[in-house]
Amino acid sequence: MPEPLLDNRILERLERLTIQWQNSLPGLVGGHNTSRFAGGGQEFLDHRQFHHGDDLRAVNWRAFLRLDRLFLKMFQLEPRIPVRILVDVSKSMETGANSKFDYARKLAAALCYVGLVRLDSICLQPFSGKLHDAFIASGGRHRFQPAMNFLGGLQSSGQTNFLECSRQFCSKYPQRGLALVISDFLDDRDCEKPIQYLADFGHELILMQVWADEDREPPWEGELEIEDAETGQKVELAFDRDARAQYTAAFDAHAAHIRTLAERNSGRYVGMPTSAPIEQAIFGPLVKSGAVA
Amino acid sequence: MNFLNLGLGELLGLVGAISAGVVALYLLDRSKRRQVVATLRFWTAADVRTELKHRRRIQQPWSLLLQLISLALLLTAIAGPQFGIFDATGSDHVIVLDTSAWMASRSGQGILMDQAKANARAYLRSIPRRDRVMLVRADALATPATAFESSRSVLDSAIQQSQAGASALNLSQALEFAERAQKLQSQRAGEIVFIGAGRVTEEEAALSALPANLRVISTNSTLENVGLRKIGLRRSPTAPDTWDVFVAVRNYGVRPQSVDLGLQFSKSPAGTRRLTLQPGAEEQATFSYVAKSGGFLEARLNVRDAFPQDDRAVVELPAEASSRVVVYSDEPQLLRPLFLANPQVDAVFESPAKFDPAVKADVVVLDRFAPPIAPRAASIYIQPPASGSPIPVRSTKTGVRLDTWHPETTLGAGLRTRDVTLETAEVFSPAAGDIVVAETTEGPVIVAHGTEPKQVLIGFHPGRGSMKYELATPLLIANILRWMVPGAFRRWEFQAGTVGTVNVPVETNSKPEDIKVLDEANRALPFTVEDKNLRFFSGAPGTVRVQMGDREMVYSLTLPDVGEAVWRVPTTVHKGVPRAVLGDAAPRDLWPWLAILGGLGLLADWLLYGRSRAFRLRAAGAMAPQWKKMTQWRKAS
Repeated sequence: MPEPLLDNRILERLERLTIQWQNSLPGLVGGHNTSRFAGGGQEFLDHRQFHHGDDLRAVNWRAFLRLDRLFLKMFQLEPRIPVRILVDVSKSMETGANSKFDYARKLAAALCYVGLVRLDSICLQPFSGKLHDAFIASGGRHRFQPAMNFLGGLQSSGQTNFLECSRQFCSKYPQRGLALVISDFLDDRDCEKPIQYLADFGHELILMQVWADEDREPPWEGELEIEDAETGQKVELAFDRDARAQYTAAFDAHAAHIRTLAERNSGRYVGMPTSAPIEQAIFGPLVKSGAVA
Repeated sequence: MNFLNLGLGELLGLVGAISAGVVALYLLDRSKRRQVVATLRFWTAADVRTELKHRRRIQQPWSLLLQLISLALLLTAIAGPQFGIFDATGSDHVIVLDTSAWMASRSGQGILMDQAKANARAYLRSIPRRDRVMLVRADALATPATAFESSRSVLDSAIQQSQAGASALNLSQALEFAERAQKLQSQRAGEIVFIGAGRVTEEEAALSALPANLRVISTNSTLENVGLRKIGLRRSPTAPDTWDVFVAVRNYGVRPQSVDLGLQFSKSPAGTRRLTLQPGAEEQATFSYVAKSGGFLEARLNVRDAFPQDDRAVVELPAEASSRVVVYSDEPQLLRPLFLANPQVDAVFESPAKFDPAVKADVVVLDRFAPPIAPRAASIYIQPPASGSPIPVRSTKTGVRLDTWHPETTLGAGLRTRDVTLETAEVFSPAAGDIVVAETTEGPVIVAHGTEPKQVLIGFHPGRGSMKYELATPLLIANILRWMVPGAFRRWEFQAGTVGTVNVPVETNSKPEDIKVLDEANRALPFTVEDKNLRFFSGAPGTVRVQMGDREMVYSLTLPDVGEAVWRVPTTVHKGVPRAVLGDAAPRDLWPWLAILGGLGLLADWLLYGRSRAFRLRAAGAMAPQWKKMTQWRKAS
């Protein structure tokens, strides 16, 4: 029997968390995050002129008696918006001593559980060169086991193609929502444009970059034959301490670029090395970023 | 330049093999390693050169070169190079230094050994320093003191430590050993040099089968000496309390000598004799001395000669042993002649009423009575009553004929009678394990019980009737006493002799498995028995005991063994110290410098190219510009 992705102790700790989003997104009533959109909420938002067709139950009759004008009370909407977790299952996620793929699955499982506990609707969407079959979990924590089974059954394959995946995502999910992307963001092609494409489409982004220590600071020295895990392309080179410093600087620049991209679009960025325990990553940088609270 | 430990070919082969190994390890260490990574974008983005197709295999040639040079220097140091006049004609000589007993003889202010040592050193000075020399000390055995050695200090030390031994020179064996050593171990055989007096046995005096490369450097050997050769002592067969002493004296000199031989026993004079000895003659003097007690017997020659070590010999003699026999009898006159006939028996006669089971005696004789408590000592029962006999009495017969003796037993050895009829005799029923000594037609009449305390039961009275006049009767008593108290009847012989090989005549009935040869610490010495002659070797002064049945010989091998004759050196043999070689400078050892250079090279390689960053930075800071350029090249690569 395969080992479960998350044990009960972590799940108990996750129950106190909630997935947070910052943008006002339209959705059905029943969520837990406020929205700038008026609707059938409990909290008073504003008044506006009554127009034909408006619900008479929302008319402020006291104001009408005093001013003889019809004003409509508007209430703050707490919409239920779709939460979509995009999990990178490309071959590059398998590199490193600590598998990024396992780490990403655990992270996705944790976020899925947090959403289910708050009765959010969670869509688990694996991707690599294209979007794979998704899994939608909703209806409370007792629906978590199928989500775990789905994540446990994922296999890493393919080459990352953010652009194609973004296109497919926008066409597949026209309703705006929260998009949590768990990936190493190591697409040989530029991943800025596809991510910006998602943001422009109206999705709120939470970018979670996962890397192995070898990805950021390769421990090897001397003559190396480097092979790309996704493309199989090989490069022979000599690597020493100075080259390693340059490599790490380039990696950090790339991570900073992704962070900037997320923040520019009112999103959030979390960088997580796989050497850190998953529990520590969730209750540390992820909570600090405001993605969950 | 020459190499002490390795040949040039061996050195080059070794350097080549190790260099190949180092290069292989070097290339293996720097071989490409395959790694699978998530992306190549940062590898190419980093300032990493990828033009490896045309890169050199060896990235740090100076490091590799430095390592190879350092290893070559260390291996050369191990090879032991010497700088100086290299002459491949160096020879290997063997010095056979005479360390026989005679070399302790006084000659002038010192002893002959000092002359021999001086001659040996003179010979060492005379040969080229490149020649190697093996020192062999020769006495009865040839013992190598050094291997073939070129270091003169080592050889000087070995010569200085050589001392005169106690045995005679075995010249033929020493020369044979030297010849064999040269054949097996030397690269180029030089001379075999015998240095010493050459006092050998008479058989070797005319030794002529000599190595062709023999040189003899003689010391003075024609010294006047008279010495003791041997002292022999044994109890007189007719008077057991008397020692018969035989002393052999030899004149080793070339002039007739008259010497006084004195004998002392426990510091008391025991006899003197004046001997006149012709050159090379050996005389024997005989003494008799009555002594029951033990003590030291000393023989001394009152003479001043060149070799005083053989003028005195001491032998330790034990006290006369006797066995105490207590006879309980109402008719002691019947047994008195049987027990008092033997001087080694101290017999006491008591009446049976005074029987004491704990009586202090070696043997207790119970004449026709059986005590309620058996004596603790060995006992002889004569006609014991049937009720108290230790061995059941089957019957008592009269007029039975004693017709069978068992001479194969120790008790019946040498006993026989003819037509003896016993008036009255008890016939015993021996148990399994009991020894039957004599039988009548009715059954056993003399039976022995072998377990301690030993018991012998005689079914008739040996002092009465017809047995009274039989010769077998006292012999039977003697056999019984010898069986019961073997130590009291042991025959002792003492000899003071010279160390070396000792020959002992063996009695015809002695079996080799019954013979023991023991040293002072009671350890068994190896010996051989051949043609009724026992032979053993003792290389050091000491006492050796030879036990053969009831006979024990004690050899006090304290006299030095001096050869009887002087070796007559053939005229064809080279003699004397050869003329010294001039201008023969000693080559200088180079290995310390090479080892230091090799070590420094490896240290520099570690500092410059090692993995330690701290050391590398420190080294880089101190580098000259061209060295900096080199490290920069390494970084770029």
